[in-house]
Amino acid sequence: MRRSVFTAGLRAAFLLGLGALGAGQTGFVASAQQKLETTEVKIDNFTFGPAALTVPVGTTVTWINKDDIPHTVVSTDDPKTFKSRVLDTDEKFSFTFSKPGTFPYFCSIHPKMTGKVIVQ
Amino acid sequence: MHPFDIKAVLFAKHAQHVVLIHFPIALFIIGVLFDFLAQWKNQRLLAAAAYYNLLVAAIATIPVVVTGILAWQWELEGQKLKGILLMHLVMGCLSTVLICGVWFIHARTRRKQQEVLSGYRLPIEAVAVVIVALTGHLGGFLSGVNGPG
Repeated sequence: MRRSVFTAGLRAAFLLGLGALGAGQTGFVASAQQKLETTEVKIDNFTFGPAALTVPVGTTVTWINKDDIPHTVVSTDDPKTFKSRVLDTDEKFSFTFSKPGTFPYFCSIHPKMTGKVIVQ
Repeated sequence: MHPFDIKAVLFAKHAQHVVLIHFPIALFIIGVLFDFLAQWKNQRLLAAAAYYNLLVAAIATIPVVVTGILAWQWELEGQKLKGILLMHLVMGCLSTVLICGVWFIHARTRRKQQEVLSGYRLPIEAVAVVIVALTGHLGGFLSGVNGPG
């Protein structure tokens, strides 16, 4: 009787451990997906989304134009840290941020469109 | 940015191309309207009004073309255009040729002291108005006049 209780306890502990491991993995996958998503900036309906993006040093940020209109991605500093070609619908531009700082940018065709990348 | 820097008036936030373009469009359409009215009413005063509107429209195309091409060369670094931008460039050049061409037809008639303007100008003017309107539509689409804010 005592042995069966002990075995049942072990089984329960094992199952609980497995469950916790599974939850941990799910959390890890979700975290990785979230990290992956935040490195992409969508251009849609004349806006950059997200308008402000915080990333660690060394991150490559990709802008993708989901608008019907051509757009550009140009940093506001002089000389320009980054400057894309004109991006037509579904075209992408990537830049790797190797230094910390705040990098405001805009669309040179539609200057009201602004955004910034905060590199920490 | 220096206020008298030539690039300041061409680059984004201060781009003059989108401002200046309204002058030739308005003057040309009104000029054509006066010309059609002059033809219909047979009035010299209306014909003169048409001529001067077309003259100023033709002159006004020069800074528009210059600012547009310089903005393309400097802001977009002269990159090969495609899609709507290319269509806008081609139709803009065609519009300029048509506006100047229509003015030239009127100017040639005035120089030769001819009483009657040739009738073929009217369909050319009508086509030119359509091309100018389409170019303006593309320009408005590009500049995002229908966008938020």
